[in-house]
Amino acid sequence: MQAPFSPYLRSIAGGMRQLMERFYQDFDDVRILCTDSVGFAARVSRQVTTLSHETMTTERGMVVRVWKNGRYSEAAFNCFDPQDPDRTYAEILPVLQAQFLLLEKTGTPTYETGHAEDTPCQLYTEMETGRLPEDEDLSALLQSLKSISQKGLSMDPHLVDVQISAQSTHVCKMFLTRNRDMRQSYVYSEGAISCVGSLNGRMEMSYQGVSGRKGPELFAALDDLLPQVVKIVQELLTSERITPGEYDIITSPEVTGLIAHEAFGHGVEMDMFVKHRALGAEYIGQRVGSDLVSMHEGALCATDVTSYAFDDEGTLAGDVTEIDHGILRTGICDALSALRLGCAPTGNGKRQNFEHKVYTRMTNTIFDSGTSTFEEMIRSIDYGFYLCGMQSGMEDPKHWGIQCIVERAYEIRNGQLTGKVMSPIVLTGYVPDLLSSISMVSRDREVFGNGGCGKGHKEWVKVADGGPYLKAKARLG
Amino acid sequence: MIDTLLALLKASDIDGWEITDTSTEGWEFYLIRHRLDQNRVRKVRHISVKVYKRLKNGTCLGSASGEMAPTLSEAEMRRQLQDLIKAASLVENRAYTLNPRAVLTGKTPEKTDPAVTSETLLELLSSLPETDSADMNSAEIFVDQVTRRFLTSEGTEVTTCAPKSMLEVVVNARRNGHEIELYRLYRFGACDREMLREDLCRALRFGPDRLTAVPTPALQAFDVVFSTADACPIYRYFIDRMNASMIVRGYSDWKIGQPVCEQGDGDPVTIQAVGVLPGSSVGGLLDPEGALSCDMPVITDSIAAHYHGSRQFRCYAEMTDGYLAQNFVVSGGHRTDDEIRSGDYLEIVEFSDFQVDTITGDIAGEIRLGYLHKGSTVSVVTGGSVSGSMRTLARDMRMSLRQVQYDCLRIPALTRLHGVTITGCENEA
Repeated sequence: MQAPFSPYLRSIAGGMRQLMERFYQDFDDVRILCTDSVGFAARVSRQVTTLSHETMTTERGMVVRVWKNGRYSEAAFNCFDPQDPDRTYAEILPVLQAQFLLLEKTGTPTYETGHAEDTPCQLYTEMETGRLPEDEDLSALLQSLKSISQKGLSMDPHLVDVQISAQSTHVCKMFLTRNRDMRQSYVYSEGAISCVGSLNGRMEMSYQGVSGRKGPELFAALDDLLPQVVKIVQELLTSERITPGEYDIITSPEVTGLIAHEAFGHGVEMDMFVKHRALGAEYIGQRVGSDLVSMHEGALCATDVTSYAFDDEGTLAGDVTEIDHGILRTGICDALSALRLGCAPTGNGKRQNFEHKVYTRMTNTIFDSGTSTFEEMIRSIDYGFYLCGMQSGMEDPKHWGIQCIVERAYEIRNGQLTGKVMSPIVLTGYVPDLLSSISMVSRDREVFGNGGCGKGHKEWVKVADGGPYLKAKARLG
Repeated sequence: MIDTLLALLKASDIDGWEITDTSTEGWEFYLIRHRLDQNRVRKVRHISVKVYKRLKNGTCLGSASGEMAPTLSEAEMRRQLQDLIKAASLVENRAYTLNPRAVLTGKTPEKTDPAVTSETLLELLSSLPETDSADMNSAEIFVDQVTRRFLTSEGTEVTTCAPKSMLEVVVNARRNGHEIELYRLYRFGACDREMLREDLCRALRFGPDRLTAVPTPALQAFDVVFSTADACPIYRYFIDRMNASMIVRGYSDWKIGQPVCEQGDGDPVTIQAVGVLPGSSVGGLLDPEGALSCDMPVITDSIAAHYHGSRQFRCYAEMTDGYLAQNFVVSGGHRTDDEIRSGDYLEIVEFSDFQVDTITGDIAGEIRLGYLHKGSTVSVVTGGSVSGSMRTLARDMRMSLRQVQYDCLRIPALTRLHGVTITGCENEA
C-alpha cells in the first residue's frame, strides 16, 4: 500500500500560502516547511512494558524561513490556525524585529548571503509500505515482543534482561514556496533487542537491531535476531581485555558503517566547509584512502530510515560519490551552505524536527563493495582481530582524528578465528592512515539504520550507514 | 484546549492521568566567526498526556503516553485519547501507586526575558580575549523561557516558569599553517556570565598547546586527572546505578546500606540529590511526574543510601518517598588541588568523547589534549585513548575539596583515577 499523505497538512496548505504572502510584505524570499508525523514506540522487558505514541521523529509543526538584505531568519511554531494566518504573522513578526534590534544594538554583522532561485517544482510522493503505524494491532505486537523476550530469557540463566523495542513512524512533510509545492509521505521502522547478562559479578550488554523504510511488518525479523544477541552476550561475559597496539583488522559491515560515518561522513558535511571546520575542504581531488576505497552518501543510496524524496529545504534526494577509488571527490551540502560555497545542494539539509535549524546532515553513508570474500580476508591475516558491534563514535573533522567504540573483537591467528573474544575495543587513529591501510574489501554489503546521529553533542537525526567487510590496520585499545 | 482535554479525561474510563502543558519562547543566534549566520524564533506549545488504567482486578496498572498537538479539533482529541486508553489497557505492568497531590507554596518565579540573556551572551562572545593564534570559530546561542503547567488526576495543579539556555562555542587555534579546534557545549538555567567567560578563556589557552602536543606514549596503567566536564560521566556512573529503574531491571546490584565499591586508597563518595540547584537548566520543586523534590542522600560515604527515579520503579523497589531527581551534588573529596596534582599523572583536558558505560562500568575515550607530568617534566600530549573499568577504578578514586558545577551536576573540580590503561599512539621512549 501507499502511505497516505497527511489530511492535516493538506488542510492547512491554503492558510500557509496566505501566511507566506504576509511575510512577503516584509521579506524578499519566504519558504515554509510543515510536518505531521505520527507513530508509536513499544518496549517490552522482563519487568515492564511501555507504550507511547511518540518516537524520535513524531511531530506536528511549521517553520518559516525568510530572507532580506542578505540575512536569513527563521520562525518555528505549532499553533497555526489556517483560518487566521494574520494572527501567527502578528505573533512572529514583532519577535523577529526585536531580534534585529538586538543584533543592531550589539553590533553583530550579518554573514551576507544571496537567496536561491525558486525553481518551480510540484511533487507528491506517497511511498510504498506494508502497514501503517497508526493502523497497527498493538495488542498482537506486544504479545509478539513479550514472547521474544521470554524466549530469550529462557535461553540462558545468566541473562538478567532481554528487552525488545519496536518503533514505527509515518512521516509527512510539505514544503511550500511561491513556485513549489512538494509533499511526501513514507513510513520507516526500527526494532532492536538488548540483552543484559551477568556472570561472577560482571555485567555485559549487547544490542542488535533491524531497520528499514518499511511499516511495522519489519518487526517479524526480530525473532530471528534473538539467538545471535544471546550468543554475543555469552561471549562478552567471558571476554578478555585487548593488549593495546596496532593490529591487522577486519571490520564487520556494522563497524565499516561506523567508520564511514565518523571518518568521511561528518568530515565532508559542507556547512563545516563554510566555517572552515573541516580539513576535507582542502583535500578535494586528493588521495585520502587506498584505491579500494569508494564511498557514497545520499537518501537515494539505500532504502532505509532516512531515504526520503526531498530534504527539509525542498531539495530533491541525491546520491553523491564522496570518495572514488581513494580520491576525495566532493562533500554533501545543505541549500544555504551551497549558496555560500557556490555549489549545488545535495539533498542533505535536515532538521532534528520543525523546531530546529537545518544543518548539512548524513542520510545513507556507505562504503562500496569490493571483490574479496570474508573467508579470504580472514585467511590473509597472521595475527589480528575481526571487529564487530558498534557502540559509538566521534569525529574530529578539523584534525581527522577518529574514535570508534566497538563492542567486541574476535582474535585471528594464522588465518583462522581462534574463538577468543576481546571487549570493549576503542579504535583510534588518523583517518587517512586508516583508509589508506584498507587492503581488501568484500563483495557483499549491509546497511544499518538503528540509532541517531548528533552534530557535536546535539541535533539528533536518523541516519543509516554500512558497507562491506574491510581489511585494514588500526590502533586498538 | 486544556479545558476540553480535562473534560474528556474526566469522562473517560481510566484510573489516572497526567497532563504536561509546556510553552516555550526561544531565541536563537548562530554565528560564524562573529557574523550572524541566522537568527531564529521558536514559539511552541507541547501538550503531553499520560493515562493510567487498572487491569486484572487492580493487580496491574497500564499506562500509555502521547502528545496532543495544540491544533487538534475536539473530535481528533477524543480519538487520540481513545487510542491512548486502548494502548494503556494493553500494558500489564505490576500495580503501583501514583504520586499524591503536591502543593507548592511560595511565589511562582517570574518570567525572564530571552532578549536579556541573548544580549549577555552576544556581548560575552564579542569580548573574548582572542589572539592571532586562538579565536572563536563559530557559536550557537539558544535561550528559552519555558512555562510548564502540570496537572494530575490526584489533584496536583502547578505552573512553573524557568529559563533554559545552551551555548555552543568552537574555538580554533593555529600555528605554522596548521589549525585545530576545541568544542564546548554549555547547558544552564540562569546565565552565569563569569563562569562561561572563565571556561572559554581556558579553552583559548588550551588551543595553542594542542598544536605543540606530541603523540601520547603508551603508559599502560597510569594515573589520570580529570579537570573538565569530562569528569561528569564518572559521577553519572554512580548516580545511574542508584536509579530505581536500574535496580529493578537487575542492571545494578547496589543495595541500600551496602558499599557501592571496594574502598582502597580513594576517597568515599557522597552524592546528594537536590531539587533546586541554582544555575541548572533542569529540576525544580516538583519532579517531571509531580513528586515534591527535596534534598535526599543517594550515596553517603560510598554506602548506598536512597534510590531515585520514576514513581513506578521506586514503588517496585519499595522506596516511594524519593523522586525523579535531576540535580545532584557530589562531595567527599577533602584534598587540595596540589594534592590531587602530585607525583606522576596525565591530566586530560580534551577528549573526543569520554564515556562510562553504566552497566559494565567500562570507560573509554580518545585523548585530544593532555598534560603528562612525569618526574619534573611536563609534556603536552595528544592521541591514543584511555580504558579501564569503574568497577575497579572507583576503589582508589580521589577527589578535590574544591567543587565546580556543570549544569545539573556539582562535582569535585579535580578527580584522579589510579591505574587507567593508556593506549598511546607511539611507544614510550
